[in-house]
Amino acid sequence: MIDTIEKEDNIISEEEAAQYDRQIRLWGLDAQKRLRGSRVLLVGLRGLGAEVAKNLILAGVKGLTLLDHEQVTEESRRAQFLIPVDADGQNQAQASLERAQLLNPMVEVKVDTDAVESKPDDFFFQFDAVCLTRCSKDLMVRVDQLCASRNIKVFCGDVYGYHGYMFSDLGQEHHYVEEKPKVVKGSNEANDGPEAKKRKVDPNETTMVKKTISFCSLKEALEVDWTNEKAKSSLKRTPADYFLLQVLLKFRTDKGCDPQPDSFAEDSQLLLQIRDDVLETMGLSSELLPNTFVSYCFSEMAPVCAVVGGVLGQELVKALSQRDAPHRNFFFFDGLKGSGVVDNFGSK
Amino acid sequence: MAQLVGPLRKELADSLSSCRVLVVGAGGIGCELLKNLVLTGFKNIEVIDLDTIDVSNLNRQFLFQKKHVGKSKAQVAKESVLRFCPSANITAYHDSIMNPDYNVEFFRNFQLVMNALDNRAARNHVNRMCLAADIPLIESGTAGYLGQVTVIKKGQTECYECQPKPTQKTFPGCTIRNTPSEPIHCIVWAKYLFNQLFGEEDADQEVSPDTADPEVAWNPADAAARATASNKDGDIKRVSTKEWARSTGYDPVKLFNKLFKDDIMYLLTMDKLWKKRKAPLPLDWTEIHQLGVFGYIENYVKTLRSQLIEKGEGAELVWDKDDPPAMDFVTAAANLRMNVFSMNMKSRFDVKSMAGNIIPAIATTNAVIAGLIVLEALKTLNSDFDQCRTIFLNKQPNPRKKLLVPCALDPPNPNCFVCASKPEVTVKLNVHKTIVQALQDKILKEKLGMVAPDVQIEDGKGTILISSEEGETEANNNKFLSDFGIRNGSRLQADDFLQDYTLLVNLIHSEELEKDVEFEVVGDAPDKAPAPNVPEEGKNIANGNKDSAQPSTSSKAAEDDDVLIVDSDEEPSSSTMETSPESSNRKRKHHDADTDDAASKRKRLDQQPADDDEDIIALD
Repeated sequence: MIDTIEKEDNIISEEEAAQYDRQIRLWGLDAQKRLRGSRVLLVGLRGLGAEVAKNLILAGVKGLTLLDHEQVTEESRRAQFLIPVDADGQNQAQASLERAQLLNPMVEVKVDTDAVESKPDDFFFQFDAVCLTRCSKDLMVRVDQLCASRNIKVFCGDVYGYHGYMFSDLGQEHHYVEEKPKVVKGSNEANDGPEAKKRKVDPNETTMVKKTISFCSLKEALEVDWTNEKAKSSLKRTPADYFLLQVLLKFRTDKGCDPQPDSFAEDSQLLLQIRDDVLETMGLSSELLPNTFVSYCFSEMAPVCAVVGGVLGQELVKALSQRDAPHRNFFFFDGLKGSGVVDNFGSK
Repeated sequence: MAQLVGPLRKELADSLSSCRVLVVGAGGIGCELLKNLVLTGFKNIEVIDLDTIDVSNLNRQFLFQKKHVGKSKAQVAKESVLRFCPSANITAYHDSIMNPDYNVEFFRNFQLVMNALDNRAARNHVNRMCLAADIPLIESGTAGYLGQVTVIKKGQTECYECQPKPTQKTFPGCTIRNTPSEPIHCIVWAKYLFNQLFGEEDADQEVSPDTADPEVAWNPADAAARATASNKDGDIKRVSTKEWARSTGYDPVKLFNKLFKDDIMYLLTMDKLWKKRKAPLPLDWTEIHQLGVFGYIENYVKTLRSQLIEKGEGAELVWDKDDPPAMDFVTAAANLRMNVFSMNMKSRFDVKSMAGNIIPAIATTNAVIAGLIVLEALKTLNSDFDQCRTIFLNKQPNPRKKLLVPCALDPPNPNCFVCASKPEVTVKLNVHKTIVQALQDKILKEKLGMVAPDVQIEDGKGTILISSEEGETEANNNKFLSDFGIRNGSRLQADDFLQDYTLLVNLIHSEELEKDVEFEVVGDAPDKAPAPNVPEEGKNIANGNKDSAQPSTSSKAAEDDDVLIVDSDEEPSSSTMETSPESSNRKRKHHDADTDDAASKRKRLDQQPADDDEDIIALD
């Protein structure tokens, strides 16, 4: 006997069966097959990007394109584990390629050194899923609009110091399956007679239940109207991280980059100012985001990249394999508190 | 205004580069953890792992590539990390953390210890070493989509052993031998059969019908007659299974007929068993090949027999799920038995999960947990223990939207049998039937986590019962406790000098222990039998030693693990929460992940228990 699964289907090689064994035992062969047929675009290869790349490559997608136009600097090299020490000056995606490929030779890892803003619409259509990191709000909204209608799964994520987030738009109709235990029919009481001799149902039997779930666009998710009564009453349960994200996205748009440790004083001031502006525009109080946030959103904390990259990576796997309920539609992680919440913004 | 070095405040960044940390384990969590530590700025790291790399590790232990299979995990992990951070100062040990070289002085070298383990014995041991050295310990575990991190600090928090943990599930002998009702029972039986035929014979692993089954309830005259009859039929009692098999030359037809026909027919005569159960159906040798691959059991018997012969006189095989004929044999034998007992048969893939206690594992869960470990580590460096938390990673968010659930740490249990100032425990056993060896191996080592116990009797004379020095008290091993005057109410002082641990053991003599139960630790968490509908079972993600095939930790069970906590924004500690016993139990689970690596791949050390296969540690 050979230890492969359903070898007669000839859909999985012995090499794959051996290497993916422990994950096939978790999410099943069907899911693994779907992963194996998926092509993903990953934009941005800093701390978070490297984590997502690792997770997707290990999971066994068909192809992963690493897109980044930036060059390796000492700071960016120290933020992730794929870039070799002598790569300063090279393109970030290019420098990450070799180590990324070595993670799993069965995945086609490619590099694209263009700026994502310069890509035409149809560039994105070759992928089953797109993951955007370090992108501007406008670009993310644009790509999201392009892709979601074509059933291309869209993910966004960033890490700012101790904080991180992930957003997903899996389209209006995302289909998936969930494995549920089979209901054991019949009484458990023993009784005499023919019923008693009924074959016992294997308690480990399960059944696959089909489900559908709907996602709203990034634009809708970010442009929630906080002035109406319903929104106001939900404020208490709304994570402050949502507003922090809005502030950081605006900073990125206004300054053209993220807060830099080297310009801590200046950027801190700018952050506070943007916080005031953003919350005022939304008709909300600055108290929602107390000043202390400023100390903890610079650069990328490696462990926060690991946490957000792990959740984001797993959401990509779920979406591509169409197995298990996806988180909808934001995940916020606060590395100071150790709290990670899933919340839904923008749906009616 | 604060000065930043990257994302960190300067004081923190400085203390990172000077402190020394120990990582115990270089597997799923360990690889991710090492990467996070160096990227965060930790410079002085020591990592220890006794294992070597297997191809099934490569889906998540990303520091390893295919070309590294067979090499030391700790060593290769170090080399891979140095490639992206050459300035890191890493020391790798291909060794067991339970080796006495790693004494309290060794542990005192570090400001922090982080576990990335997959078995309870090592966790217990490191727990005690960190208590003895008074070093903070970050404990963690993963299984499937679930994970957990917690911080242990002597005197401030619970230690790893403050709360009793459910022990590995075992099945009663009569279920395995007479009345299996689930595939797992048949799989356990098949593993026992393997040992009886090819491996180390164990009196607790009988495969023949159990005439002492209380359910059978024969009257005495009847029982006597049957006992005589069984002596005639293939001599079940007097000759060991291995001897019998050898006497038949491991003839597959004879083996098959005994196990799947004659023994089954014998079971059928125990008619009380079948009044409320579907009776087993004996198999016929001529029909066997209709059962597909499982019918070719004779091939596997032949191969295993050859292996035995090759090894020489008095040889024994050790079951290894990664050894194809061993795995094939168990699959076939289990399925034949499932067929006999009218159960749906299982694929080799599924049997391997259950027989090998395989815990499914993926990269992302380990990545998240390892990230959380480092975040907790940063707090411990500042001695901000009141900021530290236990954090649970769930598969789906709880009703309060939390996917990651931080909970306040609990204070130490004043009655903890490990970290209390004068730890004590009470054990119920039969002083006339328990031998010293069992006290040492099954109670003090296996159950109570000692590695090298020294035991004296509190009899006013300080009689030495067990010495950790090899050979010194060997003569005592097979004597009964009562031979030393031990009786109800006797007290023993047990020391483990490596762990700097002294435990007072109170003994209660009892002649009324349950069948198959040799001893009971009073006040323990009761072993939970799985209820048919309750997700509870998922919480007890199987614990247990590979040797006794445990129920598999299938992801199905794990999926039900929603941590339903009624709480405010910040989780209070579990002891103050208003939760039902069930949900608080859920909260208390520790996640341990199993190692399913075969014993043969371990670096063998004398101090290791012989069957030191990694357990599936449940996130309990």
